[in-house]
Amino acid sequence: MTEDSQRNFRSVYYEKVGFRGVEEKKSLEILLKDDRLDIEKLCTFSQRFPLPSMYRALVWKVLLGILPPHHESHAQVMMYRKEQYCDVLHALEVVRFVSDATPQVEVYLRMYQLESGKLPRSPSFPLEPEDEVFLAIAKAVEEMVEDSVDCYWIIRSFVNQLNNKYRESLPQLPKAFEQYLNLEDSRLLSHLKTCSALSRLPYDLWFKRCFAGCLPESSLQRVWDKVVSGSCKILVFVAVEILLTFKIKVMALNSAEKITKFLENIPQDSSDAIVSKAIDLWHKHCGTPVHSA
Amino acid sequence: MAQQANIGELLSMLDSPLLSVRDDVTAVFKENLSSDRGPMLVNTLVDYYLETNSQPVLHILTTLQEPHDKHLLDKMNECMGRAASRLPALSLLGHVIRLQPPWKHKLSQAPLLPSLLKCLKMDTDVIVLTTGVLVLITMLPMIPQSGKQHLHDFFDIFGRLSSWCLKKPGHVTEIYLVHLHASVYALFHRLYGMYPCNFVSFLRSHYSMKENLDTFEEVVRPMMEHVRIHPELVTGSKDHELDPRRWKRLETHDVVIECAKISLDPAEASYEDGDSVSPQVSARFPHRAADVAASPYVDTQNSCGSATSTPYSSSRLMLLNMPGQPPQTLSPPATRLLTEPPQAALWSPSTVCGMTTPPTSPGNVPPELSHPYSKVFGTTGGKGTPLGTPATSPPPAPLCHSDDYVPISLRPATATPPKKEEKTDSARPCLHRQHHLPNDRGLEELPGSKGSVTLSDLPGFLGDLASEEDSIEKAKEEAAISKELSEITTAETEPLVPRGGFDSPFYQDNLPGCPRKNHSATSGAQGASVNPEPLNSSLDKLGPDTPKQAFTPIDPPCGGTAESPAGHRERQTSLETSILTPSPCKIPPQRGVGFGSGQPPPYDHLFEVALPKTAHHFVSKKTKELLKKAKGNAEEDYPPSTSPAEVLDRLVQQGADAHSKELSKLSLPSKSVDWTHFGGSPPSDEIRALRNQLLLLHNQLLYERFKRQQHALRNRRLLRKAVKAAALEEHNAAMKDQLKLQEKDIQIWKVSVQKEQARCSWLREQRDAMVAQLHSQIRQLQHDREEFYNQSQELQTKLEDCRNMIAELRLELKKANSKVCHTELLLSQVSQKLSNSESVQQQMEFLNRQLLVLGEVNELYLEQLQSKHSDTTKEVEMMKAACRKELEKNRSHVLQQNQRLDTSQKRILELESHLAKKDHLLLEQKKYLEDVKVQARGQLQAAESRYEAQKRITQVFELEILDLYGRLEKDGLLKKLEEEKAEAAEAAEERLACCKDGCPDSVTGHNEESSGYNGETKPPRPGGGSASRGGGGGSGGGELSTPEKPPSQRAGLFSSRWETAMGGSATSIPTTVGSLPSSKSFLGMKARELFRNKSESQCDEDGVTISSLSETLKTELGRDPGAEAKTPLNPDGPHPSPPNLDSVGQLHIMDYNETHHEHSEG
Repeated sequence: MTEDSQRNFRSVYYEKVGFRGVEEKKSLEILLKDDRLDIEKLCTFSQRFPLPSMYRALVWKVLLGILPPHHESHAQVMMYRKEQYCDVLHALEVVRFVSDATPQVEVYLRMYQLESGKLPRSPSFPLEPEDEVFLAIAKAVEEMVEDSVDCYWIIRSFVNQLNNKYRESLPQLPKAFEQYLNLEDSRLLSHLKTCSALSRLPYDLWFKRCFAGCLPESSLQRVWDKVVSGSCKILVFVAVEILLTFKIKVMALNSAEKITKFLENIPQDSSDAIVSKAIDLWHKHCGTPVHSA
Repeated sequence: MAQQANIGELLSMLDSPLLSVRDDVTAVFKENLSSDRGPMLVNTLVDYYLETNSQPVLHILTTLQEPHDKHLLDKMNECMGRAASRLPALSLLGHVIRLQPPWKHKLSQAPLLPSLLKCLKMDTDVIVLTTGVLVLITMLPMIPQSGKQHLHDFFDIFGRLSSWCLKKPGHVTEIYLVHLHASVYALFHRLYGMYPCNFVSFLRSHYSMKENLDTFEEVVRPMMEHVRIHPELVTGSKDHELDPRRWKRLETHDVVIECAKISLDPAEASYEDGDSVSPQVSARFPHRAADVAASPYVDTQNSCGSATSTPYSSSRLMLLNMPGQPPQTLSPPATRLLTEPPQAALWSPSTVCGMTTPPTSPGNVPPELSHPYSKVFGTTGGKGTPLGTPATSPPPAPLCHSDDYVPISLRPATATPPKKEEKTDSARPCLHRQHHLPNDRGLEELPGSKGSVTLSDLPGFLGDLASEEDSIEKAKEEAAISKELSEITTAETEPLVPRGGFDSPFYQDNLPGCPRKNHSATSGAQGASVNPEPLNSSLDKLGPDTPKQAFTPIDPPCGGTAESPAGHRERQTSLETSILTPSPCKIPPQRGVGFGSGQPPPYDHLFEVALPKTAHHFVSKKTKELLKKAKGNAEEDYPPSTSPAEVLDRLVQQGADAHSKELSKLSLPSKSVDWTHFGGSPPSDEIRALRNQLLLLHNQLLYERFKRQQHALRNRRLLRKAVKAAALEEHNAAMKDQLKLQEKDIQIWKVSVQKEQARCSWLREQRDAMVAQLHSQIRQLQHDREEFYNQSQELQTKLEDCRNMIAELRLELKKANSKVCHTELLLSQVSQKLSNSESVQQQMEFLNRQLLVLGEVNELYLEQLQSKHSDTTKEVEMMKAACRKELEKNRSHVLQQNQRLDTSQKRILELESHLAKKDHLLLEQKKYLEDVKVQARGQLQAAESRYEAQKRITQVFELEILDLYGRLEKDGLLKKLEEEKAEAAEAAEERLACCKDGCPDSVTGHNEESSGYNGETKPPRPGGGSASRGGGGGSGGGELSTPEKPPSQRAGLFSSRWETAMGGSATSIPTTVGSLPSSKSFLGMKARELFRNKSESQCDEDGVTISSLSETLKTELGRDPGAEAKTPLNPDGPHPSPPNLDSVGQLHIMDYNETHHEHSEG
């Protein structure tokens, strides 16, 4: 806290003027300087502000529990993680599930399957839907993170978080989506309802895959920042915002299939704006998360 | 109709001779009038009156009440329209108006007025005109405001009638014109008096015309000579005099008097206002004041002589009984005059005259007295005369003469005002003379009267005489009276000259006589101020008398005529009684009969209504005038401007004279017969002319009476003022008396004050003397006191000295005493010392003895000591030294202890701080520990996850292996079936070799069995665990593995059997197996061992390695969390069996526990 006072006194005003992220990096550095990192604070920070990309991996790893809060043990734990990764990879190689030709994403999948004990008897077995989700997420993460060990661990933890922490709340999201869409634009909702497209919206793509494959990674990162830091509701707002952004087009479309199709392949160019708006919307509706500590 | 008839009856009854009937009928009429509002009754009454000239009807008509006035006026207006009834209507109107009914103000609005004016303008009958003019004149003061509308009518009438007087249109008899002229003259006065400005302007405009110039010269101008300049001509204006506000303040009689004021005609004029009198008073007063000393008598006569006439019964008694007394009674007025001259002056002429004289007094005034100043004397002179005149004929004669005489004497005096006083003086003597004349006569007539009767009592005396005469002559025939009258008139010229001569001596005689009397009465009280006390007393005495005199102005003549001199109380009977009583009034009717030649006298009612005496007086005077006229008196040279009234008067007088002459020629009793006897029936036109004349005269008379009434009203008011003034005077006198008394008191007080002052001064002197004496005493005493004081001071100083001495002596005594004491003390001390010294000596002696003894003992002891002393001292010293040392030691010890204590305390403190630090440290350590724990947990979690991964890997591997085994076994079974037959011989040989190593082999087999069992049981456990964790997929895996166990076991058993049997084929597989895992990792090692184990089923030595492998596995599992770093180094060296066995035992136990645990969990 004492370091807070060393912060630039102008920091309060930057945001008002519209410069975002000027002071965030600094404050994040201050947060990261703490020995025994304060997970709570990091969570709050990442919910409130977009993370600088250079610290994103670190923060994610910490938030996802890949790295312990103590700096000392980082190296060792990281070594363990790496060894584990190597072992699993080796094992897969041994059992001839993967080869050098196998795409990295599939390697990750197999590793995850192995670790979760779901490795099929044969690599030729058809993939399960959850494996498809994993692949989509892994593909997205692979784009974000360079190091394959980190990448694997982030994917793994992320998926685990989705499966464990959000297992209860994820099925609720379509309902919430409907509610917020009603609040924001009831006409659109009624249109969707008339087209009976509401139930057929790409909820899997949005909520189970967390927009992986839907949004470009640069934008996706910012959404996932929030997801990683513990809020899956942001997904709803992103979805709402997508609909709002492409409202005219959606309104023009009349059949559920077309809508779904369109939504599954939304144009990538406006994704940044969508995400920004979605975050604003999220803040608006759910309030700006305040650091509880 | 019945009513009408009833009214007719009643009307006829009105004239009944019975008084009671008349009264009743009158009452009935009045009742009717009050109840009935219709005009009929009034009309009937008027008609009846016009018809019959009935007096009661007239009476009723004149007293009509408010609602009937309109009817009356209308009726009269109607009558006025007819020429025949015009004259009676006018006369009725005159009657009505003269009584001044309460509705008189309505006259101005009534149509009667315009018709009257019209009549006056149009009519040609002189009688009607005269009557109308008189009515108009009477009416004018009642309706002054209405002048505005009719003013020009009035003026026109005046212009017409004035021209009539000159032009005599038609054949109007001269005699009528005289009447007309007189009435026009009155109208002139009235108009001029009321509307001077308008009237003058009218005159100016009217007579500026040439045709009227003659009229002006002949008629109007002479009239104008008889008026003064009206003050309104100066101050007023045409509009102002028509202003209703001006008239509102004035009553009718005020207006009349106002008009009379501006007249210079003695018959008309009146002076009563203070302002008109005051110059006379002021002019007369100094003279009188100067005169008083000489003739107070005259003054009394002037001031109250006439007034004092009332108490004549008493005064006369006084006069008769004690003639010497009167001066006393007279003195008060005189003194009052002296003390209050102005008041007396105010009183004297007009007021007294007004009180005593009847209203007709101007009539008495001779026409020669035209001068305004002479009027005063005329009135004053007249006041006495009427008293005498009525009954006694003698007085009037001298009066006339005196009157004649006076103007002659006065006329020159009129020219110069300064001679006024002289004139008054001369007039006053004249008066006195007048009074003295009857007085003398009375004296002469009354033989019983002795001495002189005072002038003041004269009128009363005279009246008394007259009444006496009257009462005596009451019974006599009127013829006798007329005879007497004629005698007197004929004889009146005779006393003229002798009176003049007799007058002055009397006067002169009287003058000195009066003061003399006065002197005798007042005993030389020339200066009233010298002795005021008697004056006061007399004033007090007379105070009540004077008002009494003032209150009865008209009574004396009445009483005198009506009653005997029985008492003045009886004289206060009402006028009506006097009217009704057969009094001298009877005389004129008789004469009238004479005049009217038996005709019912038309003015009969006149005398009844009027005061009998005045009427008689008037008539007598007229007759006198007429007589004079008839005689054609040479001495009567008329003044150039004779007023028409005078002319009329003279006419009447002449007529009367002629008549009396005629009468005198006739025998009295046959008077009525005379006419017929004399000249047969008189000519009708003469009779008519005479009647008309009579009527005119009557009218004139009525007008004059009206004026008189107005005057009477005025007089009453003035009387009230006079009474008030008298009361005030009395009050003043009383106040003055009081003042005097108070002054007297003040004087007395002053005297007493002086006395008191004197006494006071005497007392003061005495007191001063006393004070001085006392002062001297005090001084002496003070001196004494000082001496005493000095003495006492001396004594005190002495006393002081003595005291000092005593004190000194006492001091000395004290000193001596102290000395004595001291010496005593010394003595006792010395004695004590002595005794002490004695005892000391004794002790000394004793001590000396002891000393000696002790010295001896000492010597003895010394001797003894010298022998023993050396040893003991060393020991003691040693002991002491030891003790000292010990003490020091102890002290140092204590010191040490203290130091130690300090240090220990310090130490404790240090330790405590240390402890705190330690606690802190401990806390920190704990924190740190926590931190570290957390860190370790993190690491541990990573490691566990790694371990988990490893387990998964091994599972995968095991699965793979099992899979491979499964495939291998399938392949091997097929091969066996093929090779069984071909290699039966080889199997037998191999069985022999096996038997050789049977024992150890079985052991290892057992071992292997157990270990295999163990190894087999192990994999499914984590598989089951993972199944429970992983869900359906995991369990499927578990199920897959478990059914494979028995075959694999069996296969393992079989394979161990079968592999040993077919070693060649098996060896190729282990190589591949062995080549598979990389030797660097633990898994690789294990895999190699596993494969070696498999291959050992063919070779015996492998069993040991397998067991050792399993051992290492077990140990590794046990040791794994502890040290992982060592594990890669461990597996090389084959371990001895005992630990292996131990570990197997441990494994068993663990296994059991684990399975058991699993079961409990499951």
